Amino acid sequence: MSEKNSRKIPPLMVVLWLGITTLGVLGSLYVVPWLMPESASNTMHLSILTMVIFSVAASPVAGLVYAVLVYGLLRWRYEGQGVPPDGPALRANNATTALWLVGSTVLTIFVLVWGLTLLANDQSGESKAEMTVDVTGQQWVWNFEYPGTQVKSNELYLPVDTEVLFQVTSKDVVHGFWIPQMGIKVNANPSATTTTSVMPNKIGVYDVRCTEICGLNHSVMVTRVHVLSQSDFKKWLAQQPASI
Amino acid sequence: MTRTRALLTSLVSIVIGGAVIAAAGFVLARASAPQTPVEAQRVGTSSIVVDGQRKTVNHEALTISAYPDALFSDVLGGESGAHPDWVAYSNNNLVVHRNSLVTITVKQYDGGEVLNNSYFGNVVGTIDGTATVDGKKITLWSPEHVGHTFTLRGIPGSGRELFVSVPIPANDVVDSCDPADPNPSLCAAQGAGYYPKKAVEVTFSFYVGEAGQYQWNCEYPCGGTRIGQFGNAMSTWGYMSGTLTVK
Repeated sequence: MSEKNSRKIPPLMVVLWLGITTLGVLGSLYVVPWLMPESASNTMHLSILTMVIFSVAASPVAGLVYAVLVYGLLRWRYEGQGVPPDGPALRANNATTALWLVGSTVLTIFVLVWGLTLLANDQSGESKAEMTVDVTGQQWVWNFEYPGTQVKSNELYLPVDTEVLFQVTSKDVVHGFWIPQMGIKVNANPSATTTTSVMPNKIGVYDVRCTEICGLNHSVMVTRVHVLSQSDFKKWLAQQPASI
Repeated sequence: MTRTRALLTSLVSIVIGGAVIAAAGFVLARASAPQTPVEAQRVGTSSIVVDGQRKTVNHEALTISAYPDALFSDVLGGESGAHPDWVAYSNNNLVVHRNSLVTITVKQYDGGEVLNNSYFGNVVGTIDGTATVDGKKITLWSPEHVGHTFTLRGIPGSGRELFVSVPIPANDVVDSCDPADPNPSLCAAQGAGYYPKKAVEVTFSFYVGEAGQYQWNCEYPCGGTRIGQFGNAMSTWGYMSGTLTVK
């Protein structure tokens, strides 16, 4: 029986699968976190963790696809002239089918449970918010209002370790309020208020970007987030002039 | 032979695709060519606080205008552009020099109404957080009576962080300059239109550090009927937006 008709898995394919899977796992563990923004909140930490775990879980699947592909290119290449003849008929293989179904089901349920758990965790933050910031997007500037004060600013200031609720809206077209390092993003829609929340856990300066292509100068609709200690935040708030 | 041909076809496709994209970018870049720059002129030196330290720096100034119609301005090389009836600043290409105190005077010939975002009624980012309107110092202006704003911000990665926003009050005389019944004592004629003889003059100063390019635009919704008055002149390069280059 030729290799093409054999039901045995070729050793080279197994080697390729293990090799590509190993590369995938290593890449998931070391390259994926490096590609992600720095984490300045637990939400972002969980986002990075999710990317890493999902990438690790996907590695054997992707490894198998690439192993078959590479093996096929190496060993199943048709060297003759014209259109190649049909290969042998495929036969049912109950073990392979069962393995494929069980593996897919386990992976899918794992992704579903993980995602729903994180989503519930993400949404529970809004009810625990200790302060609120009103966020307004307008072509092509962000501004921030701190309810209960007369302070408005074009850069966002937040106290560390405080759950913050953002009430986001737009004065013109749809914008996207995104703080990459905190793992939060929500659309800013005209005539509507959307909400999201986060607890920054690291003092520093981060970015706010617009994620919806919102017109001529969308690319410069960027500002900063300053995460301060709680005492420094109070000082900053007290030093700001009253705005209209 | 077949394999070589397939490889060549792929390469040629990639090259043609790249050339098409490059050509589109080139044409678009040429289409939005900036105006002849207005360069700030040195007016002396000034002592100001920069990053917590008092310094003596060059002081320079430039003047631009805001007109109810591009027809009146020198927008797009003095030809009023494709839309002479659109509101416009007189120049969209401002140039200043590094490590300077820059004073900009805006001569405002246009009317106005209510800001849709009162934040832009505040004077932000200027020396002392103030501006002057016809010589009177202000820190904010009623959002009910604003004509335009001059709102300047940094382009990411292009130099020093900078944010300046100043409300430009409405010039009420514009109501007397209806081409059908202009008041000749208050309005000057240009072409088929009229604009106020006397501008509202807004002056403000800010410090610029290292070389870089910044972008500015108006935040008063004055652009037209679409998307909350943010269409037309507000969404087309060169009318209510421009660059400030620090060299």
